[in-house]
Amino acid sequence: MKKKSLLWLFTLVLILSAFLAACGGDDGSSESGSEGGSSSDGEPQEGGTLVYGLDAPPEGLFSSAFYGIATDFEVIELFDEALISYNENLEPEPNVASWETEDSKVFNFTFEEGVKWHNGEELTVNDWVFALETIADPDYDGPRYANVQTIEGAEAYRSGDADSISGIEVVSDYEINITFDEARVNNLTNLWAYPLPESVLGDVPVAEMSASEWVRSTPIGIGPFKIDKIVPGESVEFSKFDEYWNGDVNLDKIVLRVIDNSSVVGALQNNDIDMISLQPVSGPEVEPLENVEIVTYPGLTYYYVGFKLGKFDNESQTITEELPKYQSKELRQAMMYALNRQEWVDAFFFGYADVVNKPVPSSHWNSADDSELIQYEYDPEKSKQMLEDAGYVDTNDDGFREDPNGDEFIVKFSHYATGNPTFESRAQQIAQYFEEVGLRSEVEMVEVNLYYDMVEKDDASIETFFGGWGTGTDPDPSGLWKADQLWNYPRYNNPEADQLLDDALDIEIVGTDQEKRKELYVEWQKIVNEDLPMLYIAELEEIKALNTRVGGVEYDVSGQNSPAEWFVTE
Amino acid sequence: MLKYSIRRLLGMIPMLILISIVVFSLAKLMPGDSLSGEIDPLNTDPQYIAEMREKLGYNDPLPVQYVNWISGFVQGEFGKSTRFQIPVFDLIMEKIPNTLLLGITALIITYIMAFLMGMYSGRRPYTLGDNAIAGFNYVMLAIPSFVAAVFAIYIFAFQLNWFPFAGSVDILAEQGSFEYYLSRMHHVLLPAIVLGAMSTASYTQFLRNDIIENSRKDFVRTARAKGTPMKKIYNVHILRNSIIPLVTFLGFDFAALIGGAIITETIFTYPGIGQLFLESVTSRDYPTLMALTMLLSFLTLFGNLLADILYGVVDPRIRLD
Repeated sequence: MKKKSLLWLFTLVLILSAFLAACGGDDGSSESGSEGGSSSDGEPQEGGTLVYGLDAPPEGLFSSAFYGIATDFEVIELFDEALISYNENLEPEPNVASWETEDSKVFNFTFEEGVKWHNGEELTVNDWVFALETIADPDYDGPRYANVQTIEGAEAYRSGDADSISGIEVVSDYEINITFDEARVNNLTNLWAYPLPESVLGDVPVAEMSASEWVRSTPIGIGPFKIDKIVPGESVEFSKFDEYWNGDVNLDKIVLRVIDNSSVVGALQNNDIDMISLQPVSGPEVEPLENVEIVTYPGLTYYYVGFKLGKFDNESQTITEELPKYQSKELRQAMMYALNRQEWVDAFFFGYADVVNKPVPSSHWNSADDSELIQYEYDPEKSKQMLEDAGYVDTNDDGFREDPNGDEFIVKFSHYATGNPTFESRAQQIAQYFEEVGLRSEVEMVEVNLYYDMVEKDDASIETFFGGWGTGTDPDPSGLWKADQLWNYPRYNNPEADQLLDDALDIEIVGTDQEKRKELYVEWQKIVNEDLPMLYIAELEEIKALNTRVGGVEYDVSGQNSPAEWFVTE
Repeated sequence: MLKYSIRRLLGMIPMLILISIVVFSLAKLMPGDSLSGEIDPLNTDPQYIAEMREKLGYNDPLPVQYVNWISGFVQGEFGKSTRFQIPVFDLIMEKIPNTLLLGITALIITYIMAFLMGMYSGRRPYTLGDNAIAGFNYVMLAIPSFVAAVFAIYIFAFQLNWFPFAGSVDILAEQGSFEYYLSRMHHVLLPAIVLGAMSTASYTQFLRNDIIENSRKDFVRTARAKGTPMKKIYNVHILRNSIIPLVTFLGFDFAALIGGAIITETIFTYPGIGQLFLESVTSRDYPTLMALTMLLSFLTLFGNLLADILYGVVDPRIRLD
């Protein structure tokens, strides 16, 4: 759902590919490219310039505390680092800061000494305190407060009742204690872990920070590259930061260029850009290029077809009404068996996605193994049989099934519309699967902004709907699944499942034992796998295109490795 | 003339007020707002969205929102872009040099091509050359600019490597150096050709028709009777008269300079007003969207006025008062 603003431009890509179809190759062979891992082999080389492509213009908020869209974050990742990093299982690991805790309530952090900001000042814990206080400031206009809220005293600071956040205790320049308002298992992963340079932003009022030149044109960080120059909306020049704290940096320069989607393939072919994220639709065109390698790694986004099972009242944060139409679990399961998800994914994501049966990305440590879940292989006969058994039979011989009361039954399926012409066909295809097992279906395309408004407000015209979620490094699905959450769009209401989610976060029950947490999450996944408040479709792969001259780049589910390790061979 | 101009300028005020109401209503009628549709559970929560809606005043009644906006607007306070978080005025000023460079280059290309083609066609009407030019013009007019842009990039940037495929300048060129300006011209040329060469039709055909018409006038016959060379008759006597109607277009071009390249800028990733406008629509960035629409409306009105005044200047037979 990120980057949707430019989705309609895919139209142009498609028009181009329609005109140039003659030059295209076969669409079937999408198995080339390596899984995860690095691209170019050979020894790291010093020097050289790497050209990094972005297919959407950044907004220009180049500060970890203020950015709003993923594109800006891609830029930030090249010149800044978090205090804590994540490994390939999305578990936190020390980076600049290491930590200790006994009770998951009070954390003691120790910083590396000698870490330098790009302006030459040394990074101290005060820069982190500055970041946390900025985010908790009442004038702060970014979206990160949820990551600071849980620190003891943050609420009081925000409402103006306190001059500092009481839960933050600076021990020395390199040591700090942070106390949370209560013990939680995910306090650490939720905590905001980027510092802000107090030496440059310290005098700027919080309300003016996001518009200040320190954020927009001369941002600094602690990463291996520093920003030399920004041409707004089109390019950024980075150069090697000689005083980088964590080892050698191979490249001399990185040049970041913004290019339109319609130019991505050509630019890769001409060696104009060395690395870029690809949209699935470009994959088949890039694969035949000899100078470009495609690297895929597991993403954290999944797509689903949701059922509206109830109505939510945002004031009282409760599900107030139950909608009868899709309450039958057998009906939902039958509809799942009717979907040929593999075929659908191959057709619309060009193989860059995997069919899933659960709402937790497979690469999360708490993801349930396939053997523990119902797999819902495509089986139209089974689907038909289940519908018969559940009472959905064709009583008036019109070729479609009626509901158990003998009334007309029409699956109304809504999908968002941007300018992307494939959205309508992929929605039609899902409706087609339903029709093949005898369920009459209707597709409604709704303009994307209006669509999410309607889904969120439980508009009566939304019955089954297409959607997607991206999950973060925190594996806890509570925010999207519990009955008291606005973003539980299906309005799934199962106290037993909610209890499992609560227990998995309850330090009294799970302590610090990750295995025990995992058991509870697996238990929960079994329930939602059987209940199917939504039909899980697929999780996406992230696709990167790398020029063969690029080396040292590695990806895992937590993202890319440090740009310090990247190199180019001439 | 001064009196006329002032009268026209005053007449614009009610017009602009009406336009502002329409612009505001249409913007607000678009489903969703700058906070909807982009829910990303990673870095935002429902409470934040609700707070921001309140802060941005989206919960106020529409008339209140309108008055807030327009009263700020009149005082030159265009508001703060919800997407970029900086004042809209700064945002526009940042993009306008790029857009003006592109617009003016495109206009020059249009003028040169249209003059050459128009004069040729006017002098040799109904010949093969004339028909070829007309055919070329109408084909160009019919091709949507985004298709032409995509093809131009494919052919001239990727296949022939003549031009860069995106951006407005090479970031490695040092600002202010000769190389820097050369790089800017190099970057602007391809989008300018796409824009300029595609819109020659109206100029060419107007010029052609006018030349044909004028060449049948008495003063041409007189000049020919005196023995003036044909070349001079066409290039001086007729051309001077034929340019007059073209002046009307100049006013319209005024607005097109700023807003004429919305799609083209986006495809060439050329950061200008057009790209900004398109992004502000898709991200529901009301302050930017409304400021730009008002700016373009004003320029259109102003361009019309300019056209009328210029008409009086070049053709003394037309009196404005």
